[in-house]
Formats: sequence, structure tokens, C-alpha cells
Amino acid sequence: MFPGPTLLSAASAIVETALNQALEFDPAGRKALLAALTAPVQFDLTAPVALTFTLTQSAKGVLVGSQPATQPGLVISGPAMAFYAMASGDTGAIKGGRLSISGDTALAHQFQRAIERLSPDWEAAMARHLGDVPAHFLAKRLRDGAKWSRDARHSMASNLEEYLHEETGALPGRRELEASFQDIDALNLRVERLAARVEFLPQSRPASHSSHPSEPSEKQENS
Amino acid sequence: MSDQQTPASAAATGSPQDDVTHFGFRDVPKSQKASQVAEVFHSVADKYDLMNDLMSMGVHRLWKRFTIELSGVRSGHQVLDIAGGTGDLAMKFSDLVGPSGKVVLADINASMLKVGRSRLADSGYAGNIEYVQADAEHLPFPDNSFNAVSIAFGLRNVTDKDQALKDMARVLKPGGKLMVLEFSKPTNPLLSKAYDTYSFTALPFMGKLIAGDSESYKYLAESIRMHPDQDTLKAMMETAGFANCKYHNMTGGVVALHVGIKP
Repeated sequence: MFPGPTLLSAASAIVETALNQALEFDPAGRKALLAALTAPVQFDLTAPVALTFTLTQSAKGVLVGSQPATQPGLVISGPAMAFYAMASGDTGAIKGGRLSISGDTALAHQFQRAIERLSPDWEAAMARHLGDVPAHFLAKRLRDGAKWSRDARHSMASNLEEYLHEETGALPGRRELEASFQDIDALNLRVERLAARVEFLPQSRPASHSSHPSEPSEKQENS
Repeated sequence: MSDQQTPASAAATGSPQDDVTHFGFRDVPKSQKASQVAEVFHSVADKYDLMNDLMSMGVHRLWKRFTIELSGVRSGHQVLDIAGGTGDLAMKFSDLVGPSGKVVLADINASMLKVGRSRLADSGYAGNIEYVQADAEHLPFPDNSFNAVSIAFGLRNVTDKDQALKDMARVLKPGGKLMVLEFSKPTNPLLSKAYDTYSFTALPFMGKLIAGDSESYKYLAESIRMHPDQDTLKAMMETAGFANCKYHNMTGGVVALHVGIKP
């Protein structure tokens, strides 16, 4: 069965080494993550390949396993893309039900907070090999590059949105849509109220008047 | 192949050769096998880790890692690593059991034990590791002592494997886990042929080049061929009293990890 135990062990070894090296550059984050790992946390990937990874605390740092834990404290399962979305800071992956969580909810919150706080000092890592000045120079360029690409992505999305809405008119504008949705919501509310009133009418009618509507029909039947 | 079948068939028929066993492809008196195996390991002890890395191209670390993952060992556990050699598994177990647990590194060979103890001490492992020179067939521990027992690449060198498995069951606590990591039979015929060629040509050559001893590595290749295959070893574990026995083939069956639980 692919992937076999040897490949899985290789993958977990690579992840474990990378994770522990990253944690070395964030002592506070490492401490928080190790404190949060009071019990094994298990990740069950359901697609594209069914895989299981576990995180466990050990004397040397975090252990990454490729086999299901005997007694996991927390199990998070879902497709790989949902895990990627969660790692990118998209909480909608959990709220939207793409990731399911079972186990200790307190551990889940603690673990999530620890992950969010992680901020490895990559500049320090580079400084070990390159020296302080070249590392700072390179890190600044990388930070600027990342900021530029983030801004460029954002402005490109804005320009595309504007072009589709304003220039071509292919899609309605956000404000126009919001106004329509508000109208639809208001209409929905009014219809619901009207339906409730109509439903209420026969019950609120006095008993003395209740026979009137039936009289003509009785006459028609008699005739 | 006929050479390989000779000792096995002799044992099966209960012939007068009952008091002989195999040492590689050769038959030797049972009383002499332990000392001959000991000579092999005295000879290779110093270069053992380097040779393991070269012969397996580093993959032995992944096989051992998988063994650790399946062990289920956690803080406070008592673990026995038989034929622990240079301490690869003991090191990982020591991290897992923590200061409240204990790892016993046992090996019948004094040279291997010495190399293992030096290596672990140099790496800062102390406090929760004990070193014991012990024969796997007669383990010097009370009944029901350990949560897990492991033997990695050691069982094939044991003279009486059935007796060794029984003694491992004895020292395990009820519910404890035995893990036998050992060379086995490749499941793919093509891989099997390539593996045979590699074992009988490259291994002795590397042994001569690196450790200055081709005979020991010739014995390694021969002893692997004489070791029981996956299903036979599983049946032996069941006979020894283990339950829920299963095996995991690794690298196409070149190595198999057998796991059993003491009921």
C-alpha cells in the first residue's frame, strides 16, 4: 500500500526536523507549543491520500509520528486543502465544517493559540550562517519582497474587481448587490409577517361570525 | 538454494542433527553458534554504525523510526531493548520514557555493549538507561517487568529463537508489546534478485573495504537468508504466547517489523 511505512517514516522525519529547527528560533513559541501538547494531537488527512500524522511532546522537542496515537487528546480530520487553509490563518475551515475536530476542546483552543503565536526569527537563523549584517540585508529584502507581493496581489484583485464591475458591467457591484440583498431580506421579512397574519386570521375571528362564510355554500348545495 | 534448506530440513525431520544449528549457510553445533556470532560482532563493533549507514544507505534509521512509532512507549514506561547494540533504539526510547521511566539496553556481546554505552554517554543519555550483558534466551529479569520489549536485527543471531521469544513473553507485563525488527523475504521477485546480488557481492566487498572483514558481512547475508520468513516468524510468536501478532513489510519486505501483545 502506497505510501509504505518507510516513506511515511521519511516524511515524518523531515517534518519533525523542520518543525524543531523552526521552534529553535522562537523559544517563547516553542515553550507555548510544548505546554499545549499535554496529549498527542492527531491530524487525519482524508484527501487526496489518507494519511495520519501526530504531534507529541518529548524531552527533545516535538515528535512527529506517521501512525495513529494510542490515546490522542485531540483529533483534527479533513482534506489537505482545509489543513492548508487553517495553517494560512483561515478560521473558516473549521467553522465551515471542512475540518472536523474531536477530543478535548480546551486542548484544541490552547493548541490553536500556540500555533498562532509561533513566529520564528528567520533573520537570527540566517545570521548564524551568514553573519549579522548580510543576514539583516537579506532578511530586509525578503520582508520587502513579501510585502510588495502581498500589496501587488491585493491591488491586482481590486483592479480586476473594478474592471469586472465598473468597466465591463459583467458583474453587479458590491454595493448594488448589498442593496439588493437588503431589499430581498426586507421583502422576505414582510412576507413572513403577512403569512403569520393570514394564519392568525381564522383563529382570531369571533365564534359568532364563523358560520357566515359557510351559509352561501350551504345555499348553493341546497339549490 | 539447497545449502539454505539443509539445516531447516534437518531440524524439521528431527534427525540426529538436532544438536546442530545454522551459522550462515554452514551447520555448527548449537553450543558453538553463540561464540561464533560473538566473534563476528567483536570484529565489526567499532565500525557497526558506519557500516549500517553504508549498507542500508541510511534507510535503517527509517525502519527503526517506524519501530519506535509503533511501540506506543510513553512517559514512565519500562522498556527492554535486546541486542541493542550501539543504542539507536535505546536513545529514542530514553527520550520517550522520560526521567520517570527506564530503558534497559541488553546485548550478549560485550564489545557492542561497550560501544553503545560510550555512544549514549557521549550523547548525554544517562539516568534512565541501564546496560546489561544478557543472553536473549535467558533474560536476567523478573516476570512481568517491561511495558515493551524490542529486538532489532538481533533475533536471527539467536541460537534458539523459540526459547528467546518465550523468555521475551515472560518478562513482558500483560498487555505489553514485543517488536521484532528483522531482515525478511522481499515480496517482489525482481527486488529479491537484485537484493540477493547486492547482499552477496556488495556487502562482503564493503565489509572488506571499511571494516577490513569480508567474512562477517558474508555471514550477515547468509544469516538473513536462513532467517524465518514473515509468516513463519509470526507463527513462532503466536506459539510463544503472543496475541494479535502482525507484521509490517518495509522496503518491499527486505525488512519486516513483527508486533505481538502479551495477553
